[in-house]
This record gives sequence, C-alpha cells and structure tokens, in this order.
Amino acid sequence: MRKALGVLALMAVALAAGCGTKIGPGFDDKEVNLGLFVSTSGEIATFGEDTKKGVELAIEEINAAGGIKGKKIKLTHYDTASKPEEGKAAATKLATQDGVFVAMGAVASGISLAAAPEFQKYGIPMISPSSTNPTVTEQGNYIFRICYLDDFQGAACAVFAMNDLKAKKAAILQNQDDAYSTGLADFFEARFKKAGGTVVAKESYKKGTTDFNTQVTNIKAKSPDVVFLPCYYNDAALIAQQCRAQGLNVPLLGGDGWESDKLVPNAKGALEGCYFGNHYAEADENARVKAFVEAYRKKYGNAPSSLAALGYDVVYVVKKAIEDAGEFDRAKVRDALAKLKGFEGVTGKFDIDERRDARKSISMLKIEGEKFKFVRQINPSEVE
Amino acid sequence: MLRTAGILAAGLAAAFALNLLVANAIPPYPALVINLCGISIILAVSLNVINGLTGQFSLGHAGFMAIGAYVSAYFTTTLRYFDPEAARYISQAPLLDGLWGFPLALMAGGIAAAVAGLVVGIPTLRLKGDYLAIATLGFGEIVTILLANFRQVGGTKGLTSIPGHADTFWIYGAASVCITFSLFFQRSTFGRALIAIRENELAAEVMGIGAARMKVIAFIYGAFFAGIAGGLFAHLMLSISPANFGFMKSVEVVVMLVLGGLGSMTGAVVGAVILTILPEALRDIEREVNLSGLRMALYALILILLMLFRPQGIFGQRELSLKLLRRLVPGRRKESP
Repeated sequence: MRKALGVLALMAVALAAGCGTKIGPGFDDKEVNLGLFVSTSGEIATFGEDTKKGVELAIEEINAAGGIKGKKIKLTHYDTASKPEEGKAAATKLATQDGVFVAMGAVASGISLAAAPEFQKYGIPMISPSSTNPTVTEQGNYIFRICYLDDFQGAACAVFAMNDLKAKKAAILQNQDDAYSTGLADFFEARFKKAGGTVVAKESYKKGTTDFNTQVTNIKAKSPDVVFLPCYYNDAALIAQQCRAQGLNVPLLGGDGWESDKLVPNAKGALEGCYFGNHYAEADENARVKAFVEAYRKKYGNAPSSLAALGYDVVYVVKKAIEDAGEFDRAKVRDALAKLKGFEGVTGKFDIDERRDARKSISMLKIEGEKFKFVRQINPSEVE
Repeated sequence: MLRTAGILAAGLAAAFALNLLVANAIPPYPALVINLCGISIILAVSLNVINGLTGQFSLGHAGFMAIGAYVSAYFTTTLRYFDPEAARYISQAPLLDGLWGFPLALMAGGIAAAVAGLVVGIPTLRLKGDYLAIATLGFGEIVTILLANFRQVGGTKGLTSIPGHADTFWIYGAASVCITFSLFFQRSTFGRALIAIRENELAAEVMGIGAARMKVIAFIYGAFFAGIAGGLFAHLMLSISPANFGFMKSVEVVVMLVLGGLGSMTGAVVGAVILTILPEALRDIEREVNLSGLRMALYALILILLMLFRPQGIFGQRELSLKLLRRLVPGRRKESP
C-alpha cells in the first residue's frame, strides 16, 4: 500500500513538473554557440576529421576578423561515431542541453537523417555540409545542405560524357551495397538515355570485392565509349588496373568519391587521362580558393579535401545568413538561408533552392600524372 | 505461473509510470538515452537465451533486428522510392495505421524475425562454437545485402520518415515482456534443458533432451525479440538503412552480455544499460578536452579494465534476487557495528 502511494506521489510530481522543453537562445553578449556533429571515430572518421578541420579553420578566421556581428563563435562538437543512434543522441544534446544557435552536420546521410527531426522539432536550423541523400532536406523546413546531390552529380557526369567525351555508348560498374554508388549509377543512366545515348552494360559488385575481371570482361564485350565508375578511390584504382590489363582503354569517369591522395599511387598509372567530378578544384585559379588552400596547408600541413572545403564553406554560410537576417533570431536566419542567392564559397558559387538544397556547379577534373587538372565547371542549367 | 504474471504486471506498470515521467519531467536528451537503454536491454536479454543459457555462439543478432525493423517499418511508413525504369518516384500509403497499427506492425516484425530464426536455425545449429559464430555472421551479412537490393524499402538508402511511435511505454513494456518470459524460461524445465545443453550436450541428450529441437526453439525465441527490438529501434530513430545493422551491431550486443555476465539475465540488463550510457556519459569529457577519439579510447579502456578485474562479467552467472540481497545486507551490518 505504501509502495503504491509512493508511486502515485512520484507520478503526481512528474505531472506537476511537466512542461514543454525550453531551449537556450544559443548566444549571449559576447558569443554565438554553433553546434557541429560529425563522426570523428568509427568507420568514416577521416571524413569527419577533415570536415571538422575545415570548420575550425573558418571559425579561427572569422573570430580573428571580429566574429559575426560582433560576437565570437564558440564551437560545440559531438562525435557521432559513424552510428545513427549516436547521431540522434548528439543532435538531441546539442539542441536541448547546449541550445546551439545553428547546427552543422553530418557527413553521412544516415546520421543526418537521424539528427534532422530533432533540430526540426526545436526550430534550430541545421546545415549539412556533405550529405547527398535527397531525403535529408525533406525532413523539414529547417534542414539545409550546401553540397550538390547524387542526382545532379550523376546527371552532370552523363552530360560530360555526352558533350565533352563525345560518348554514345556508356557502361556502368556499381557497388550494389552502397547508396552513393547505386544513386549515382541510376541518375547517370537516366540522364544519359535522355540525351540519346545508350547504356550498353550495367554491372554490379559486392562491397569488399577486389577481383572485377568478370564484370570488366562483360563490359569490354559491349565495347562502350566510356565506363562510369560511381565508387570510392580504392575501388576505382583497382577497377582501372583490371580494365587496362584486359585492354579496355576507353576513358573512365567517376564522381567525388574518387578524390584522394591515394587515388593516383593506388592506380599505378591506370587512371592517366581519366576524369572525375568534384566539389572544388585545388588547382582552381580563383583567389578565394588559393587563399583557402594556403591557409589550410599552413595550419594542418596537407592539402584540403572536398570535405574540408565544404566544412569551411558551411561556417561562412551561417555567417552570411545571420548577417542577412540582421539579428540573432533562428526563424529569421532560417528565412535568410532559404533565400540565400549567389553565395561565393571555396566550393563554388551557389544558391539555395526551394528544396533547401544547394544549386551549384560541379568541377570536372582530369588526372594528369600526380595532378588533378581542372577541365571545366558544369552548371545546373546545363544538366536540367 | 502466478509469480510470472505478477512480475509481468509490475513490469508493465513500471513501463507506464516511466513513460509518464519521461513524457513530462525528463529532458529530451536523457529521455532518448533511457529509450536506447530499453532497446539494448531487449537485445541483450534475448541474445542471452541463445548465447548465455544455451551456450551457442550467435553473431547474427543484428540480422534479426534488421528484419524486425524493416518489416515493421514497411507496414507503418509511407514508402517512396525511385524507379529507374519509369524514371520517377513511386509512393505507397502506410498499410497499418491508427492505434493498433504500431503493435501489429511490431508483432509482424517479431514474427518475421522468428521465421528467419527457424529457417537459419535448422541447418546452422548443427554447428558448434566458432563454426556457428561464422554461420550466423554470414546470415547477418546476407540480410543486409538482401535489404540493400530491395528498392521497395529504399535499397542502400533505407527507409526514412518512419512515424515516431516508439515511446518509453512501448519500449519498456516490450522489455518487461522479454525479461519476464526469459526469467520464466530460465526457471522452467525448458530452461533447465537449455542449461544442460550448455554444460554438456552429449550428457543432455543421454538424459533424453532433444538438443537440436531445443536449440532451434531458443534461437527462434531470441530472434523474435531481436525483431521486436528492431521494430522499436526503427520507430525511435525514424530512419533506417542496411548499414545500421552490420556486424558491429551484433558484436555490441555480445559485448553487453560478456560484460554483464554470460548466462545471467540481470547481467544482460546491467551490461546493456552500462554500454549504452557509457559513450554518452563520456561526451562531456571529450568536448572539454577537444581531442577527437578520446571518448572511444576511454570507452575501450573501461571495458578492458572491467574484463581484467571481473573476467566472468559483473554478475557472473548469478541473478539479482531477494536471496542475494539478504546475503549482502547482513554482511554490511557486520562491517559497521
């Protein structure tokens, strides 16, 4: 009886204490608190690390130049350990305990998808630097991204194959276990067909495959003009070597997954003269890009990856949005983000479209020796 | 039987009270951690029936979890996928809706996982030890690969916009059912038979226990609750993809068991709670020091230390019971007169 009364009393207290969750404003007189959630441990730790370095470099620059509207940026980062449940926990903590003003993250779409409903619920703008799954920004009107999507990237590669490489017949070799790979493959195929080309072969392999000879043989039998390889650099290097060994000497084409210091050494020359699309080009002559590459090299001792460049840009997007909004108000910053036009970052000039995605150009690069030579930019208007 | 019903009723009442508390008085972040703990408890306790009681080494728990997650979410979610043949998005309204939609979907997920348990169990449970571990590991991989190739459930991108039905009541209600049944099992003739198989399979068979049948039943039981846990996970996370249910997820559950004490239900619960809370509790330390990876290094270090000092796990094979409590209490009195 006593126990039952105790439970009742506890429940009464619980109900009395019940109230909606109030979140902090995210800024005070001196500082504005920005949240970051990327994986700095687990399978995709290198992506998170690079993003974080880019973010920290941008914050250092902005704070040295006086901050955003007189307030210094304070960064609160939580690791998401490459797991969506940790992403959701990190997002909930950033939103309700730290009360960050704006949140930046994540790299992997699975983690952004787990986090987005939390920020949406509390009306905190969330900007993903590099999640390419289209459904991420469909989670709510406070969710944005500043990278291009797989559909655009796949379609842009198709346009490049058609117009620049003059290809009529394309083959695709995809990793069937990877959303990024199958996504790029599907959109490449759809756009290439729409432009009047034919996809003569679409081969698949499983995650962890190292012998692609069967697929390469099948592809070679169809004699394509170009082979599209929507995969990461390690697979691209292996596939390229096996293509060349079998005497399949047509150009190979890939997406941003190819970008790596290890791409050229791993391929042992097999990728010479091949092309891939990327978020930015280190060799770009643009003054803003040059300054960024130089500052990054000085601070960290190596060249920035695309993820670092996107991390760098995301902080400047937040700064621009707050300045456009004119005050520290999350709803107004959201509106400013939705209306962002002609933002010039190191990953190119872009607008935020009605789906809260970045409408931006892709840089096509050609592999020449150890260098990635900038070929040209493909603009969204060309692809649509 | 009456006792079991009593435990179940108490568990459900506690789940109801906890839900009120979480909904009204606990801030969202601790509430989320509490919910994740509940899911981990179901996973660990159900795996304990296979790995702990029966002594079979299964590494396929994440596979069953994936089946439960996908089947239940398939019924409750508005499905939307890209059809490359038609070059457009296809949309399908949720099949189960309303008040009873979610529990029905959860059950469907559990049953689907149990059926998978039966199908996998019959051939693989002839294997022992490392061989069984490898076979179940293979099963887990097959599940994720199959799911990645079904466009109807989003392929490699997975399902998104799953309704957030899994609240504390459902999670802890399911956990109560799982714990009660498992305790009942453990003490029943059936459970004794499982333990006999663990201790010496040959001797158990000589005593008239159909080892093969018993092992398959234990496997189905574990798979069913893994499926329920998967369904709850899907409706808590709101988005799932095959990558969520990889090999590491299975290993995580095994570590929970080993930490708590293989074979002990109390140990499974305690191990699940510790391993779910620990990485969250270490967040603040990593933030203050700003050293990436420190959290995971500390996490690993704590595990190593625990295993060094208690290799049999926190609870060994003991259970938390009134008897154990009574033995501890007078002991303390002696120390402080």
